[in-house]
Amino acid sequence: MRLLACILGLCLASWAHAEEVVSARQLLQNMASAVHNRNFDASFVVLKGKGMEPYRWVHAKHENKELELLSLLNGAGLEIVRVDDLVTYYEPQSAPYSVKTDSIAGPIPEVLFKDVSTLLEHYDFVLGGKGRIAGRPAQLVRVEAKDSSKYNYWLWIDTQSSLLLKAAYVNQQGELLEQLQLTHISVTPEPAEQLLELTQREFPTPLPALKLNKEDTLQNNWQIGWLPEGFKLLKSDRHKLDLNNELADYYLFSDGLVDVSVFVQRPLPGQRPSGALSSGATTVYVHNSGAFDVSVVGNIPAMTAKSIAESVKRPL
Amino acid sequence: MTKANLTKSPQEIASRALDGDLQLDQSSLSQIDAAKFARYAQIGDVMREAQTGGISIDITAKVAAALENEPCHNLSLQSEHQEQIAQGTKVVKLSAWRRPISQVAIAASVALVAVLGVNTMPQQSAPAIDEMPVLQSRPLAGGVAPVSFSTEQSALQSAEKGIRDLQQQRIGALVLEHQRQSRVAYALQQKSKAESEQPEDKK
Repeated sequence: MRLLACILGLCLASWAHAEEVVSARQLLQNMASAVHNRNFDASFVVLKGKGMEPYRWVHAKHENKELELLSLLNGAGLEIVRVDDLVTYYEPQSAPYSVKTDSIAGPIPEVLFKDVSTLLEHYDFVLGGKGRIAGRPAQLVRVEAKDSSKYNYWLWIDTQSSLLLKAAYVNQQGELLEQLQLTHISVTPEPAEQLLELTQREFPTPLPALKLNKEDTLQNNWQIGWLPEGFKLLKSDRHKLDLNNELADYYLFSDGLVDVSVFVQRPLPGQRPSGALSSGATTVYVHNSGAFDVSVVGNIPAMTAKSIAESVKRPL
Repeated sequence: MTKANLTKSPQEIASRALDGDLQLDQSSLSQIDAAKFARYAQIGDVMREAQTGGISIDITAKVAAALENEPCHNLSLQSEHQEQIAQGTKVVKLSAWRRPISQVAIAASVALVAVLGVNTMPQQSAPAIDEMPVLQSRPLAGGVAPVSFSTEQSALQSAEKGIRDLQQQRIGALVLEHQRQSRVAYALQQKSKAESEQPEDKK
């Protein structure tokens, strides 16, 4: 009898757990659809350690076309424009260019506005507490990494409009490393004038279709011995870096939520200790392995970046 | 006094004018050789590292003129010459155009690293503390007399600073590259997913 009760209890508990996962996931999906379908004008700031970046984010759906504008308001600036599945980046130091993709790569991981269920393999969705953010009632949803060598991502979602109010990268100790906070949002029935102008604007032709170069991978196969769970190679090549014209063997990995870049380069002169730099959630780890330098950049903990960098071996 | 002014060599006048010692007026301007003045200005700029366009020795015009005067032996060569001239000017223009842009870019990267740099300080000082005992043990062993210690130190420091600048520049480039590459990451991911799903559909 007691056993039966036990089993029943377990079943109930797991059912309740499943229920919770569904609703956390449902909230994320509601947010994704709200972000894609509503007309809104929002301002937010990203806090990275001691730095701060203010952004303006405007979105509209007009005649079945999505119009989106994200601009960095401080410094030289950065403007990203999306018209349906064409994203154009306007940067101060280079000519504008377009990418054929249906989401802007901004401070918020794109996958959260898309099909979040792809994350379920490596992340858990957990409901958190309720609170008040930017003057509106909000529900916390935690995207928790199953692998402890990654960061978690927390989102506060407006319980009424399902729009994002706040988001943060959180480490395993529960400290907020990089926060994104909306300071203002207005939802309107009509799209903003500024966005309607975009439909008239001409954009550069998109970059040639991206190909997955699995064949090229074999040619410069540095052996990357260790990666946190779920990271897959997206591209690898050898190219010159834009700023200092240095040649680098480049690898791009992603686990769906965060991207990690691995660079293998000729060593700089002098005996330099290996070390990490961090700004908000972004870590840069430079590993000096004697004959070559390995640098790892991404939104991952410094220890994880160190392990990745140290696992890189010469091709045999 | 005016006589003394007049007897001064044009070089000196140009030099003084550049230094701002001499007021630029009709009398002083008339004595300055324009080409010389430009050269002096350039030397000054280079010495102050203010030169942004790089030292552009533009010989394309001269080469073009020389080629123009060259007797034409074969008519088909003419077009080749012209092509060379065109290419020559292109190279000079391109390098002059790229320089300022890369400088802006580097400035931007430095700003980026400056933000990063705040967090670095403790990390960079940590290894230095670890190395301290090693440095102190040398005089105790009686091997090295620190005669030119201070000058050596400053030379070492400036060398270290140079390397640090290089590293900062590299880190700036890496961060920017990561940012750019991650813009295509999502599209690539979608593509790889679509490709991996396709064979399953066929089954």
